[in-house]
Formats: sequence, structure tokens, C-alpha cells
Amino acid sequence: MQKRLKGKVAIVAGAGSTGVDGLGNGKASAVVYAREGASVMLVDLNLEAAEKTRQMIEQEGGTCFAFQANVRQRSDCEAMVQKCLQEYGQIDILHNNVGVEPKTFGGVLNTDDAEWDRVINVNLKSMFITSSAVLPSMLERGSGAILNISSVSAERLSPGLFLYCVSKAGVNTLTKAMALDYADKGIRVNAIMPGLMDTPMVERHKEFYGGDREKMRQLRNERAPMKRMGEAWDVANAALFLVSDEAKYITGQVLAVDGGYLCKP
Amino acid sequence: MGRLDGKAAVITGGSQGIGRATVELFIAEGAKVVVADLLASEGEALCDRLGPDCVFCKTDVTVEDQVRNLIEVAVKRFGRIDCLFNNAGILGQTGGIESMEVDRFDRVMASHGRSVMLGMKHVAPYMKQQGFGSIINTGSISGIQAVSAYMDYSAAKAAVIHLTKCVAMELGEFGIRVNSVSPGQIATGMGKTGPDALEKAAVLRELNKTRQPIPRSGMPEDVAFAALYLASDESSFVNGHDLVVDGGLIGGSSWTERQRMSASVHGALQRQA
Repeated sequence: MQKRLKGKVAIVAGAGSTGVDGLGNGKASAVVYAREGASVMLVDLNLEAAEKTRQMIEQEGGTCFAFQANVRQRSDCEAMVQKCLQEYGQIDILHNNVGVEPKTFGGVLNTDDAEWDRVINVNLKSMFITSSAVLPSMLERGSGAILNISSVSAERLSPGLFLYCVSKAGVNTLTKAMALDYADKGIRVNAIMPGLMDTPMVERHKEFYGGDREKMRQLRNERAPMKRMGEAWDVANAALFLVSDEAKYITGQVLAVDGGYLCKP
Repeated sequence: MGRLDGKAAVITGGSQGIGRATVELFIAEGAKVVVADLLASEGEALCDRLGPDCVFCKTDVTVEDQVRNLIEVAVKRFGRIDCLFNNAGILGQTGGIESMEVDRFDRVMASHGRSVMLGMKHVAPYMKQQGFGSIINTGSISGIQAVSAYMDYSAAKAAVIHLTKCVAMELGEFGIRVNSVSPGQIATGMGKTGPDALEKAAVLRELNKTRQPIPRSGMPEDVAFAALYLASDESSFVNGHDLVVDGGLIGGSSWTERQRMSASVHGALQRQA
């Protein structure tokens, strides 16, 4: 079988895992892209985390390199694009995986301006900046695929998580708007909404379950219609489909990888 | 190594169009396929061409006994059923609510809603026993948007998409995933057979170029790849989702622009007929 991303170059922003050694959505996606033949630039604020992903890919014989950048900063994103073009000569795929959860659990009155700016900047503005840095090169070649990692929180509100929900709803709309704007230029833009996931980022949720990790996992499994959480590989495989040429007629879509969570009454 | 190695699938409406493209892709990816359709000569020719892993079963998907038989044929032949793609369906009637032909309305609703319900009803026990399965139903962007020009079709497809989600909620915990795929403007010969079908597909391929943000018509293969993703283990956490394959159409151009384009397409098809 021909590899599905043969000859393609991907930038994965947020390619390291929370806690460095775990397997998050960004890391798994970068690994899957490399397995399918893509050359992958592994971008993360935490270089050590990106290097761990690099080691995993290189152990499998894949092609990649790690790069430190703060994707909230335009200068860093421009340096990222320059570096990618210098190393690999082109950019076919931009995978925006960077995201944070609010520090505080609560509503508008529990959130200060600095926290609003932090969450919106990391979750939403970063995708605007990376996209605007990468798009000129994609437009020049008349092709490209951008994939944004959103969340089911974009469509289903959870008490106490309003700021996260707002930021992810913004990601969905940014995705649809960019898709419409660049469809006739050969560029596709889609998003994935992961549901209840068994990934390192949700580790800190255990504080809501009395610090008991197993209890948290059990309760989260029960809340999902398939009675289990998703894995990072589920998001990675969805990402692979959406950025590959198999999805070349799919743009402006937000794919739920949630086991049915969004349908749940 | 194929992405559907060892899996068995039933594909309804598999004799032509989106169904046929999916049959071909699934076979290429290592699946064994039962093709169901009313168009027997097309379906049998397809299966002859694709070899022993592909068998035809003439089926009216609106008749319960025939759907039950179809599922049994697949299980007997291949010993399992990993994927059911409920894809068959007929076109709606044009014209508004006042000119609605009631019998035709019932047939359109049955060809989409009833058929999808029957397929899921009769495959569920087998998939539950296996603890595994992927059901894919063909929706449509007209099941998401309100298309008054084909309101029976539009409403029937909305029913398909919603039934998909309801059954996904029921069967998810048994390891069975239920999703729909909603095509946009795809160049197929739907509603026609033989050379007429080819001609219709060719006409649509040209006319559809400007009907959505991506400046080309959708092709059956575009939908087949989405079905492949949903049938394979790569989507094992995707459940109750309606995957839209429309070149960005529902994100959209202005209504005025879209209506102008629709009018020109309907005019051209009428001239062809």
C-alpha cells in the first residue's frame, strides 16, 4: 500500500505531550503523519516535550525535527515557517493542536481579564497566527490542508468551563470561515472535536474526583455513550484522514471524535 | 495490507454511483462485500468484475423480508458482518407542497427512512453478538438544509441523519458505531440507468463545478473515501456523527447565488430528459 502522506510536509504545533512522556493528541498525530510518509516539523513551547516526540518518530524510522516556538507570537510563527521551508522546501499540512484549559473553574465572575486573554490567545489567536504565517506559502503552491483541534465543548457547554467553550467555539467558526475563504485556492480547513479523552491533558481533572485517577477514568468512561473514553490515536487517525487527499472534497467540517457524546440527550 | 482486511460489508444501492465506488474501494482495501440493489444486471456485472469476494443480492430495501434475507446472505457467505452501508435511495419529487403526490411522498420516505431503519434493525443482533460493527447511512446536505425544491427527499434525509444519531446512542455501548455520510453535489446517474446514467453524471460533473466553494463537482470516490474511514478501525471512536462531503457547500455561497445555480441545473436536466 502506498503511504497516505507520501512526499508531504506537516507542521504540528503542540507536538509534545503534557507531562512530556505521555501520549497526547498532538504527539500521536505527528507519529501517525510520519508513519504515513510525511516529513514532520514538531513545534512546541516545551522543546523537551517536542524532542520526546522526535525520538519516538526516529525510532520508527520517520523523518522529523523539533522546533521551539510560542505560537501566540507572530515572530515565532514566522521563524517556524521559514525554518520549515528551509528544511523541507514546502508546507502541505498545518496541524494546530495547541490548547490550554482555564486555570479556574467557574463563570464570568470567577475569571479575570488576564485569564480571558491567556485562554483566548492560546486556544484561538494562536491558530489565527499560525494560519496566517503558513497560508502565503500554501497559496503560492495552490494547495494545503489546515487542521484545527477544537473540542466537543465548542458545541456542548459544561458548567464552570465557559471560557474554554467560548475559545473552542471560536476555533470552529475560524475553521469554517477560513475554509470558505480559501476553498477556491486549493486549501482545505477542517477541525476535530475530541470528546472525553484518556490523554495526559485531562490528568489534572482528577482533582474534581477527589484526586482519584481510577475513579475519574471510570466515571468518564461511563459518561461516554460507548462506555469508554477515546485515545490519542483516535484523534490522530481522524486527523490523518482529514489532511490526506482522501478528504480532498471535505472542507469547513468539524469532525466529532467523541464516541457519540454530542448526540447524548 | 488493506484497511478492511478480514472484514465483511453489505452495501445497498451498490450497483452504481456512490455505492459502486464504495464497493470498488472496499474490495481494493481487502473487504468482502455483498452488493444489494434493484439493478440486477449492473450489480451482477460489477461483482463478476471484482471477483469472488464480491457477491450480488437483489434487494428491495423497503421490504423487511428482503432486508432480513440480505443480512443473512452476508453472514452465511462470509461468516460475519462488520459494516452495513445503507446507501440506497430514490430521488424526490420537484414542485411544492401543494402539488405533492402522496404515494410518491410515501415511496421517497420509505426508500430512505424505512430502508435505513430496516437495515439497522436486522444487522444489530449480529453486530451485538460480535461486539463490533460499523453502520453507515447515506444522508445528504439536503437533510441538513431545507431544500424546498425536493422537500420529500430533504425531509427523508433529515430523518436518516437523526435516526442515525438515535441508534448510535443505543448501540454504542455494544461496540457498534452508527454514523452518516452526507454528500453534497456529486456527479452520479442517480435515478437513471445505463447510458442515461452516464450522461447525467457527465452533465452534473460539468454543472456542479461552480455550485460550492471547491471549484469542482463532487465525485462518487470522494464519498467512498469517507465511507472507508467510517468503516475502518481508524474511526473506532466516531459515533453518531454526520460526516459532510460537500466541497464546503453548506458553509456557503449566498442564497441568491445558490438559487441561480440551482435553476440553471434543473433547467439543463429537464432539457436532457
